[in-house]
Amino acid sequence: MLTIRIGNLTFASPVLTASGTFGYGDEVSDLVNVDLLGGIVTKSVTLHPREGNPPPRISETPFGMLNSIGLANVGVEKFCKEKLPKFKKMDTHVFVNIAGYAIGDYVETLERIEVEDSTISGYEINVSCPNVKKGGMQFGVDPKLTEQLTRALRDKTDKILILKLSPNVTKIEDIAQAAVAGGADMISAINTVVGMGIDIATRRPSLNTVFGGLSGPAIKPIALANIHKIYKSVSVPIIGIGGISSAKDAIEFMLAGADLVQVGTSNFINPAIGINIISELKSYCEKENIKSLHDIKGKLEYQ
Amino acid sequence: MHNELATIESNEQISSIYQQMVLSAPLIAKDCHPGQFINILPDPKWTHVMRRPMSIASQSNGKISIIYKVVGEGTSILNNLKPGDSLDIIGPLGNYWTDFDTDYPVLLAGGVGIAPILYLHDHLLIKKIPHHLIMGTRTKDEHFFKEKTNASIVLTTDDGSYGIRGSVINALDSIVSGKNSSVIFFACGPSPMLNAVNRFATDKNINCYLALETLMACGFGICQGCAIEITNNSAISQTYRNQYALVCADGPIFDGKDIPLC
Ligand SMILES: Cc1cc2nc3c(=O)[nH]c(=O)nc-3n(C[C@H](O)[C@H](O)[C@H](O)COP(=O)(O)OP(=O)(O)OC[C@H]3O[C@@H](n4cnc5c(N)ncnc54)[C@H](O)[C@@H]3O)c2cc1C
Ligand SMILES: Cc1cc2nc3c(=O)[nH]c(=O)nc-3n(C[C@H](O)[C@H](O)[C@H](O)COP(=O)(O)O)c2cc1C
Ligand code: FES
Repeated sequence: MLTIRIGNLTFASPVLTASGTFGYGDEVSDLVNVDLLGGIVTKSVTLHPREGNPPPRISETPFGMLNSIGLANVGVEKFCKEKLPKFKKMDTHVFVNIAGYAIGDYVETLERIEVEDSTISGYEINVSCPNVKKGGMQFGVDPKLTEQLTRALRDKTDKILILKLSPNVTKIEDIAQAAVAGGADMISAINTVVGMGIDIATRRPSLNTVFGGLSGPAIKPIALANIHKIYKSVSVPIIGIGGISSAKDAIEFMLAGADLVQVGTSNFINPAIGINIISELKSYCEKENIKSLHDIKGKLEYQ
Repeated sequence: MHNELATIESNEQISSIYQQMVLSAPLIAKDCHPGQFINILPDPKWTHVMRRPMSIASQSNGKISIIYKVVGEGTSILNNLKPGDSLDIIGPLGNYWTDFDTDYPVLLAGGVGIAPILYLHDHLLIKKIPHHLIMGTRTKDEHFFKEKTNASIVLTTDDGSYGIRGSVINALDSIVSGKNSSVIFFACGPSPMLNAVNRFATDKNINCYLALETLMACGFGICQGCAIEITNNSAISQTYRNQYALVCADGPIFDGKDIPLC
């Protein structure tokens, strides 16, 4: 009843964990049986190792948090040696999230992973990164660049290609259509919302980088609106992300048009929250006599 | 690491500003070491997105305790919990103090930093390792030491209302100079105190291990939010990081030599 089929992939449940909030799935193995999840998305991997931004990198906000981690990660080489083999032991879909600073970075990173004999199901592409060749403008704010990037990656892999969109754009529909035109199999959204915090005692911003990314329940309405806009503009499967912490939240995303959901910040409160949501969804389906959650996709009612 | 629903055994005020909560948490109690911490969900309906980390202050017979100061919403909720209530905790987290067998340990605690230091003190007593404990607070009524103080337990107050006047540093000189063998420092407390201890140790070429605190989202190395700047990468478990360390996973205990003096 919770099984969702997308292309040739079968998801045992529609709940995945979001990039940067669940590590590589092995850190939490003491607390969570990751095999019960629909899938996991790794922390963003970049071509070279990244130290990340100077502290402070996080702060709490009402019903949410700000972060500016700066894509701290081991880099693709170490990722292939140390992390990729661990996924073989997991009986769930693993999507490797890739970030970069030029189209070439993304392509090289993906190609490096493609070389390995791995069990991953595909890639999620983080386009909320500054393009150093275009004066630091993010890939994900420009439809042409998004299409170009997607096509470059599409040419290099037959695995599932998910484009993860940023909400910090004027018209997310245009970006979603560009990603689909470039060959994306799925769209996931949203990444964090630009925000900032201020400490009035010190008159300093709460993050070292001044601006950061807002996540958690505070952004759920923004995420729902974006998912619905994407649903109205493209026909590929959609993964809803943003402030999800209960089955009710997940169902709202499905009604807005999502096929699957990812749980991010809520993992920090409860690393098993994804699994809890799965069992709540099961009860919901039983109670409402829903045969497949696909039946409620986009069933939002209004004139 | 366990996610345990602990039962509160007691939750009492132990001095003018400190509370001690004893929790029955057999899984965590079995695995924990001095210096480690737990990450607490203050309330099942907690609407913040981060748990609240607290050092483990004692461990015995399936029980652990925390010593805390009420500073905000989370700690106020903890303060209102009653014996028999349950509390969702994750732990034990972080690294822990070792190396107390070679040099003479001097334990230094400032304010609520006493929590992990008390646990280490208990541990050394059980292992019959002679050591000194220096604990500093602002005033007399903040002290809660029930144990009869003896020559190896030194209390200080900022205002001189009890014990030695001044910070724990004021008590250090006589202790260190009175020892023939080399000493080693284990310290936890507010940043200015840790910095002073680290400076003292650096000047006298003494080994020194500090327990640090930062804001934490996950508590076990996933979010990368608890990074601090370091001067040396000996502390780091994952070698791609040279400039930053994660307090929750590489720490909370750091070699003073890796921490920049300010
Ligand atoms: C490893 C570690 C061990 C700690 N051990 C103890 C202890 O033994 N006893 C004790 O009283 N306190 C300890 N703290 C500090 C304790 O976590 C904070 O006092 C507590 O989180 C405050 O929560 P609040 O909701 O009451 O306050 P808030 O209103 O949220 O904040 C009050 C203050 O607490 C700090 N704080 C808030 N959230 C966190 C967080 N997630 N991590 C760190 N600091 C935070 C903030 O900087 C702020 O200045 C420890 C912190 C860490 C990181
Ligand atoms: C600490 C932290 C780190 C994150 N790191 C990444 C990342 O590396 N790559 C990425 O695409 N998204 C990253 N995200 C964004 C999340 O995957 C997710 O899109 C966003 O937080 C919104 O969902 P949420 O409200 O459920 O957290 C991160 C979020 C947080 C809070
Ligand atoms: S608190 Fe998340 S990595 Fe340290």
